Amino acid sequence: MGYLSRSSKTLRQSKFLYHLFFSFPLSSICGGKSLIGGLPHHRFALSRALFCSHARQNSKENNRLELSEYPPELIRNFSIIAHIDHGKSTLADRLLELTGTIKKGHGQPQYLDKLQVERERGITVKAQTATMFYKHNIQDTNYSDGQGPPSFLLNLIDTPGHVDFSYEVSRSLAACQGALLVVDAAQGVQAQTVANFYLAFESNLTIIPVINKIDQPTADPDGVKAQLKSMFDLDPSDALLTSAKTGQGLDQVLPAVIQRIPPPPGKSGSPLRMLLLDSYYDEYKGVICHVAVVDGALRKGDKISAAATGQSYEALDVGIMHPELTPTGILLTGQVGYVVSGMRSTKEARVGDTLFHTRTIIEPLPGFKPAKHMVFSGLYPADGSDFDALNHAIERLTCNDASVSITKESSTALGLGFRCGFLGLLHMDVFHQRLEQEYGAHVISTVPTVPYIFEYSDGSKLQVENPAALPSNPKQRVTACWEPTVMATIIIPSQYVGSVITLCSERRGQQLEYSFIDSQRVFMKYRMPLREIVVDFYNELKSITSGYASFDYEDADYQQSDLVKLDILLNGQPVDAMATIVHNMKAYRVGRELVEKLKKAIDRQMFEISIQAAIGSKVIARETISAMRKNVLAKCYGGDVTRKRKLLEKQKEGKKRMKRVGSVDIPQEAFHELLKVS
Amino acid sequence: MRVHYLHYSRATMLKSTFTPIFCMLVPNPKSSKLSTLPITNTFKNCPPPVRQNASLKDPVSITVAPHLAYPTSAYVHLPFCRKRCHYCDFPIVALGSASTQIEDDPRVSNYVQFLCREIDAMKVECDAKKPLETVFFGGGTPSLVPARLVSKVLEALSLKFGVCEDAEISMEMDPGTFDARKMKEMMGLGVNRVSLGVQAFQEKLLRACGRAHGVEEVYESIGIVKSCGVENWSIDLISSLPHQTNDMWEESLRLAIEAQPTHVSVYDLQIEQGTKFGTLYTPGELPLPSETQSADFYKMASRVLCDADYNHYEISSYCKSGYECKHNFTYWKNKPYYGFGLGSASFVGGLRFSRPKKVNDYMGFVQSLENGLVNCSGNDHINVKDTAMDVVMLSLRTAKGIDLKCFQESFGSSIVSSLLDIYKPYFESGHVVCLDEKRRPIRIEDVTTSSFDENIRERKVAYIRLNDPEGFLLSNELISLAFEVIDSYNFGSPHQEAA
Repeated sequence: MGYLSRSSKTLRQSKFLYHLFFSFPLSSICGGKSLIGGLPHHRFALSRALFCSHARQNSKENNRLELSEYPPELIRNFSIIAHIDHGKSTLADRLLELTGTIKKGHGQPQYLDKLQVERERGITVKAQTATMFYKHNIQDTNYSDGQGPPSFLLNLIDTPGHVDFSYEVSRSLAACQGALLVVDAAQGVQAQTVANFYLAFESNLTIIPVINKIDQPTADPDGVKAQLKSMFDLDPSDALLTSAKTGQGLDQVLPAVIQRIPPPPGKSGSPLRMLLLDSYYDEYKGVICHVAVVDGALRKGDKISAAATGQSYEALDVGIMHPELTPTGILLTGQVGYVVSGMRSTKEARVGDTLFHTRTIIEPLPGFKPAKHMVFSGLYPADGSDFDALNHAIERLTCNDASVSITKESSTALGLGFRCGFLGLLHMDVFHQRLEQEYGAHVISTVPTVPYIFEYSDGSKLQVENPAALPSNPKQRVTACWEPTVMATIIIPSQYVGSVITLCSERRGQQLEYSFIDSQRVFMKYRMPLREIVVDFYNELKSITSGYASFDYEDADYQQSDLVKLDILLNGQPVDAMATIVHNMKAYRVGRELVEKLKKAIDRQMFEISIQAAIGSKVIARETISAMRKNVLAKCYGGDVTRKRKLLEKQKEGKKRMKRVGSVDIPQEAFHELLKVS
Repeated sequence: MRVHYLHYSRATMLKSTFTPIFCMLVPNPKSSKLSTLPITNTFKNCPPPVRQNASLKDPVSITVAPHLAYPTSAYVHLPFCRKRCHYCDFPIVALGSASTQIEDDPRVSNYVQFLCREIDAMKVECDAKKPLETVFFGGGTPSLVPARLVSKVLEALSLKFGVCEDAEISMEMDPGTFDARKMKEMMGLGVNRVSLGVQAFQEKLLRACGRAHGVEEVYESIGIVKSCGVENWSIDLISSLPHQTNDMWEESLRLAIEAQPTHVSVYDLQIEQGTKFGTLYTPGELPLPSETQSADFYKMASRVLCDADYNHYEISSYCKSGYECKHNFTYWKNKPYYGFGLGSASFVGGLRFSRPKKVNDYMGFVQSLENGLVNCSGNDHINVKDTAMDVVMLSLRTAKGIDLKCFQESFGSSIVSSLLDIYKPYFESGHVVCLDEKRRPIRIEDVTTSSFDENIRERKVAYIRLNDPEGFLLSNELISLAFEVIDSYNFGSPHQEAA
């Protein structure tokens, strides 16, 4: 937060300067102007697309000239923020097509969502940037000297939408001066819209409201305008009306970006300062850093240093994302592009770090909001012998996702594994999915937990990120426990208010705000223990509201709470990987549920198995699995030993995939089942 | 086509000239031809040792002296049946009940011709030729085959290998497929053990499982076997049949005992995919008995038959003292055996080989065999791990259990301790029993308290076996536990021995 207020100060100053030079004469006229000019602009943009593709070819021959034509005044850095499915990625695709950066109908839809998980879930996880060129007439007719209107360099910095990734969002927003706030014309303002708006607002970005999908029969742009006014105090007349699907209104978007968003505030005469936005590992080129040049200029071959690590590198390749890596040999003030620096691992590329010319003295740029890990879970190889493979996969994946914290841990039930800290639930899900999809790793995940704090009678405090690490029968008396909470934003059609309130109070939520956005929809704010939404809250919310609820949350403070550790015992032996920390009031219900789930998931074995849930030494729930009576007694007919043996080997393989605690074999599904108990 | 036959399992036969045992037992190591007999005899009680020698170049597989491992048992498959029983998934040829003239059925005589050609084509080195000690005619329904054709097969066998004077020659016979004359004919050929496929004593059950005979034929056939003076004969029963009740099972057991056979086999019904039962029923669901009920059937058989003075000497076999099926013991001792005929399995030269299950494929196989295109005996290359698994799997089926001394000599002492470790909870639960050298049970406490001192424990515990009936009932579970141990074991590295 400290950083944010500081950065906003600098931004405010520069904005002030900018207003003097640039936007002041514009602001009085631009409002209606761009609306009137809609149609001609559209044609213009199409011819521009052709021009741009030519320019792109030329640019390979003569890059330096090209970029040096773009002083900061001709650069705009912006991002698009929206609630999920409000059309952010489609709008980005259209803008890239409009400027000829990608060819219409070519390339895959959701161009900037490169990960499989992003496409499947329709979400953006990693920040991406793309540079576009667009000619725009700043004022009506100032080009009497025979030159056409100037070409602008626009950097679209795509950000993840979900607040779990607010870390990534904050990184991206720090390189922007403005944002398109996309809202679905039928669905209106949703929870993520609210969260993203405040992120952008705190970063002092110019916000351009875009009401999208106006082609829908249920579109209600006026209603949405009213919501934007009432919730964010955004002027209804500032809103652009578009349909990324039909192309309607798209031609107003880039002119609005150019006219309303200030250019980057950097000083070209100052020594080089670059903000490291993101990095990824390319098999052929090594680590590729996305950077925003704040001050000065970077040329290929320059020696650069990283402020945080003090290490020096050579800029082996410099260029822009247009939309793929396009070498330019130079990046100037205000421009956003990439550097290949010969870093060996993305761990050297600390996101938020400042890069500068070696042997110059600069003031490092203010750092980013550091990642705060809110959800922890143990990750174990499904097959114990795969530890090395999982280790390797996690190492590779954290190369591209530095926001996960990883520490090794071991469990008696699951063997060697990792305790991973995530920014939130979606982040955890996405991480699991990427591990499986991109690295083929099969993992068992333990029940996600949140970081609790326990205070003992001797005054010592223990932060618990793994319930197994909390002593079941502590020597010191626990005097207080704290748990993290979140500020949850819930927007629902009013007919669901009753059931949602019931759900929230079941989850120990405390209502802070309740208001009507419009005649049908209610906006509620709750303070809730993070623990309560970690498991299954969103699914539950969606199911009781037939999918109409929108939900988002941000971190809030710790609150004191009555917490207990719930142990699961199989035949009297505690299974560390199944321990959870729950609120005392819910312990009985959760214990019963866990025990019942396990009874269903664990197969009958040669012994009777008792499954118990216990708080300390007090057993609160118990189930029994009776012993197996017999299994197949196949004969070895006619000496066909092979067949019998194959059967037994199959059985052995089945056993091998199970986790053994004492003499009880636990199938992997048992662990998956436990994840579903709240 | 050739590839089609090669359903190898990389299995095993053993014995290495490196082991001390061998040196001790061979009086004159140079005259190896003469030495074969005493050595094979020692194997009757021990799995042949394949102890790892650190100096070996290829630590996983060992070449053993081939002549040491020549089979003295032969399984002959006679696949013909009247019709297929509803539970059956064996390679059989259903002749149809219409064809009463089996005497002249060309399908049968043709098949027997191929069978003899197969026996004839089997490569046997002259110096290793050993007369057969057991022959087993299995099926199908061998008793359907005319005696003159059976005679041809036995001729081929004795021409090729020789058959011992006192060899055990068994034949599976089904009620309703033979009369006293045929029984006498078979006995005249040398058949001296009959395995009578009774399956059940209830008309309803026999019909429900598609048997080609009724209860009347059952009694009739028992009468024939007894009146013909077959001394060594077995009644085969199936438990857990659909609609079978406790009372029915008790009745079947009682009637079987009243018939006074020297041997009773009790098979627990398996529902196999692709059979009529497989499409009709799900194990554990009606009309099949529940798991508990089915376990009770097994326990009842064990109790009732043991009370009637039958030894429960193998998971599904009971016999009067001295009437164990010698042929089947070949399998359980992991000894080599020949296999001839459709779908039969053999274990020669360390190779487990299964013949084609379709008649045409089988005939093609015999031709390839004659042309030297197929080889169904191994080159005595063995895999220690496979052998260890086979030995454990087969010996735990028997009441004798694993002879730990032999096992240790073959596979090392540390694997024995690993086995004892994994079975520890099951000693306590009573599923597995430890026995001393005199086969007296050892108290669990004595095993477990000294568990840290491997030497004491191993000398004390001479055998481990599955308990009857609880351990036998869960044999699959218990054996696959041992597989886990063996599988994770690195036989290739000598340091394991030291550890």
